[in-house]
Amino acid sequence: MRKLFLILLLAGIAGAGRAQYKPVGNTAAVKAQFAAAAQKINSIASDFTQVKNLSMLSEKVTSKGKFYFRKNNQVRMEYTTPYQYLMVINGSKVSIKDGQKTNRMAAGSSKMFQQANQLMMDCAKGTVFDNPNFTVKLLENNNSYMADMTPVTKEMKTLFRSVKVILQKSGFLVSQVQMVDNKGDQTTISYSGQQLNTNLPDALFTIR
Amino acid sequence: MRFLQFVSIVLLLNSCTPAVYKKLQRAEGDGACIRQFRPHIERALYQASVDVAGNHLSGILLIKRMPDSSSRIVFTNEAGFTFFDFEFSGSRGFVVHSIISKMDKEAVRKTLRKDFELLLMNVADTPAAAAVFRKEDTCYYAYNTGSDVYYYITDVRCSQLIRMERGNTRKKVVEATRGPLKDGVPESMNIRHTNFNFVIDLKRIYDHAEE
Repeated sequence: MRKLFLILLLAGIAGAGRAQYKPVGNTAAVKAQFAAAAQKINSIASDFTQVKNLSMLSEKVTSKGKFYFRKNNQVRMEYTTPYQYLMVINGSKVSIKDGQKTNRMAAGSSKMFQQANQLMMDCAKGTVFDNPNFTVKLLENNNSYMADMTPVTKEMKTLFRSVKVILQKSGFLVSQVQMVDNKGDQTTISYSGQQLNTNLPDALFTIR
Repeated sequence: MRFLQFVSIVLLLNSCTPAVYKKLQRAEGDGACIRQFRPHIERALYQASVDVAGNHLSGILLIKRMPDSSSRIVFTNEAGFTFFDFEFSGSRGFVVHSIISKMDKEAVRKTLRKDFELLLMNVADTPAAAAVFRKEDTCYYAYNTGSDVYYYITDVRCSQLIRMERGNTRKKVVEATRGPLKDGVPESMNIRHTNFNFVIDLKRIYDHAEE
């Protein structure tokens, strides 16, 4: 009896999880609203918290920092705790600073980094649904939309099993990016305290 | 072709390496004293910096003791991309759970395994008795594993671990040092290969789990 109760409880929880997000009825209308909202965003400054979940080790590694975006293709991702790490994307150029060294990362790893930031840029520019590397399903719940992205290109398949981008319905701002790698380990980046269209100095995006 | 050239250069450099262990004098001593220096890591995070043949790589290294007493070493980049996931286990030995294709070469696996074995001091717990040598004001505690010899170098009273080395009975291949232990966990570790440009630098960082 207890087992049956447990099974029903777990089934209920799983069912509730699925019910949270459902497919969007009028995708075209939402995309149009999203594109219109993105048109009004010239810059974003926000805090972020990244949690890397190593499922087999029952282990989580949490890091925090600042995220900056400026139209069209400028991103600054600055990890401040528990380690210092800086990545700046300015157009096609990428600069990475760890400790005292400014370098490029290994191609494989930087691609994942750049893809994560590309997704953020795509969201801010309203072009996330046009990414040719993924098929995108649009889901929604009461407060947010979820772009459920499955990689289609060989290159992306080597990096991700899936990527989910959560956008708040109020303002179409990205609140979370969830990336699942091929081992099933998840990295979640949550954004908070977003400030829109503030004057971000050029120095933030200077490639050194 | 370029790889073969690189290997040739490494072999040539290796043959030129000075025979540092030739002058060691056999001495009396208890190899068990080395066990006091063995790190006891339940969970530790390190900011890792790796320089190899002119290339630089950085990331986060997690060392964690699992419930079955094995140790896992996972190296990811700052964004969470996993480079490798290794297991050191008393019963299963060395297990590669994952490694990115660019690093997945037998020589790389073997080198990293031996480097971490040297740091974790696994040999100090094996029944194999250490041979003890003297050189000036230092004692060398030498553990033979196959063709390799792991050397733990202390002061003459075996009260301080000065450095760790790996090589054979004649030549040194790797030198490693570490910072002070805090509750059995090294605050920093450094591995330097002497026969080619390969340096791993680890500095401990504290995240939420230690707060």
